[in-house]
Amino acid sequence: MLDHAIKTADRISLWGVWFGGGLIFLASLVVSVDVILRKLFAFTLGGADELSGYAFAIGTAWAFAFTLLRRSNVRVDALYQHLPGQLRAFLDILALITLGLLAGYLTFYAFSVLQTSWDLKAQSNSALKVSLWIPQGLWFAGLVLFSVTLVLLLLRAGVALLAGDWPAIHALLSARSIEEDASDEAAYAKSADLTVLNVVAGAGPAAHGLVGTGAPEAERKS
Amino acid sequence: MIGTALIILLVLMALAIPVAASLGVLALALEAIYSQLPLSRAMGEVAWSASNEFLLVSVPLFILLGEILLRSGFAERMYGALIKWVSWLPGGLMHSNIAACGMFAATSGSSVATAATVGTVALPQAKRFGYNERLFLGTLAAGGTLGILIPPSINMIIYAVLTNTSVPKLYLAGIVPGAVLVLLFMLTVVVCCLIKPAWGGQKFNASWAERIASLPHLVPPLGIFLVVVGSIYGGIATPTEAASLGVVASLALAWWSGKLSFAMLKEAIEGTMRSTAMVMLIVLAAYFLNFIISAIGLTTQLTSFIETLGLTPMMMLFAVIVFYVILGCFMETLSMMITTIPIIAPVMFKLGFDPVWFGIVIIVLIETALVTPPVGLNLFVVQNLRKSGSLNDVIIGTLPFVLALFVILGLLAAFPALALWLPQLMS
Repeated sequence: MLDHAIKTADRISLWGVWFGGGLIFLASLVVSVDVILRKLFAFTLGGADELSGYAFAIGTAWAFAFTLLRRSNVRVDALYQHLPGQLRAFLDILALITLGLLAGYLTFYAFSVLQTSWDLKAQSNSALKVSLWIPQGLWFAGLVLFSVTLVLLLLRAGVALLAGDWPAIHALLSARSIEEDASDEAAYAKSADLTVLNVVAGAGPAAHGLVGTGAPEAERKS
Repeated sequence: MIGTALIILLVLMALAIPVAASLGVLALALEAIYSQLPLSRAMGEVAWSASNEFLLVSVPLFILLGEILLRSGFAERMYGALIKWVSWLPGGLMHSNIAACGMFAATSGSSVATAATVGTVALPQAKRFGYNERLFLGTLAAGGTLGILIPPSINMIIYAVLTNTSVPKLYLAGIVPGAVLVLLFMLTVVVCCLIKPAWGGQKFNASWAERIASLPHLVPPLGIFLVVVGSIYGGIATPTEAASLGVVASLALAWWSGKLSFAMLKEAIEGTMRSTAMVMLIVLAAYFLNFIISAIGLTTQLTSFIETLGLTPMMMLFAVIVFYVILGCFMETLSMMITTIPIIAPVMFKLGFDPVWFGIVIIVLIETALVTPPVGLNLFVVQNLRKSGSLNDVIIGTLPFVLALFVILGLLAAFPALALWLPQLMS
């Protein structure tokens, strides 16, 4: 049942990512239109920047759970990678607990922000006069999803720990190694359909398998 | 206070606690030990204001821009064109690797994306034309780091947000050092190939007619650069608006090369959101931590501690450089920036260093961190593209370019105008 709940959370988090990412994508279109209108016709839609800020806050909050389930939170693994498996499993659970602490505080105090806005019927300090509880409510909902996912993972890890099921903990929680990150990045660049390159006329095609396998996951870091 | 904070942070990080959680737990611990006031109640407000900060909105937009560009397939045509321009030099294609990295960097705000994209196009050529494989790999890993120095740059935005520095000024300041670094990298290849001619592999000569005929392939990256960076200086757009325009321009480019599809867009958005959430969780925790450490007076204490050391500004700069070079060997770069800059930058500003100039120094140090083992993400990216051989090949091949990075750091210290000339000219 727990596994089922985690799967559900996973599905919801994916929807959350599309929803949040879609919002940010839409915001970029609206902002662009606004810039072009402003430049060409000295006319502004007004508030595109404010709305894109909300889209960003909501989109990010809804993607936290996804990042967690894809084990993409940055961890310094200089020591971790040299430890034996069981010790790592304990550290994985500790990592989850501390993340839970952060998420718990964040969600709790986000609620008080929301509540204040609701009680005071607070509106944004701009021409749009957005009722702040709307973006803050959606933002808070994303944080709740993050916290619930954390609790589910923690329960699942607890069950695995009692059963001595180390591989399950590893699969669920282990830190992504930097090699994993980089190999995603590389596979991903290859999957981007870069066709074979002809370097010089007459040298023939460089048929070295430039078109690689598709990689569903990718990690972008600078 | 400083010691306690440092020890707690180091222990948490060493235990592989996620960076965001480490910062959050440290903040809560410091509050519990040193504050009478319930500071953490402000967490919600701090998080909300950071979450809809308009400048930070540009971070996911730049990531999305990169994700779309990567899939729009202009990189190999650009590479092919650059070969005709620079590969007559000793070292042949290695120069087009660096030039292509420099040019892709002008459209992308990420070093990893730059190394991955150019590396994918270039790597199959290494063995075919008899290049020294190590040096060839080095040009890709090091060339990729240009991604964050030549504008646009995600890391510069993070620096700007953390230190209240102007993004347009930082972008301008990155252009000359970026160009100089491209030349230094190329010079490194030439010197290596003059010492060991066998490393040089095949050169490619092209006629001027061929070169001119190849120019249209350079239009897409130039166009994106003009839209994203030009719109800021044309006074048309703020950095975030410029990033939005860049997303639209990259969509147009992808559509024009027939690569635009719903599936492609969905993939790009998924990748964007995962990275964005990862970065933003750290940013939120760091904002909260910064709030706590300034509230309990740790920042002031640290500043006065450093003042009692009586270091001259140049000694301090040297200490900071050594600190980042060492830390950069072990830490992921974005977390390193977010955790250290709020503490180190104010000290440096107080010593009289220019915030824009210091930003460029930090970016070059981050570039160095990306190619120094054991944790250098660009090294791993290039290694993963080739799938065979040892990581040591990449590490050894990149070493000469690390020297070049140190040279540019020296140049920046000796001639701050290298970074500051362009921003002053435009203001």
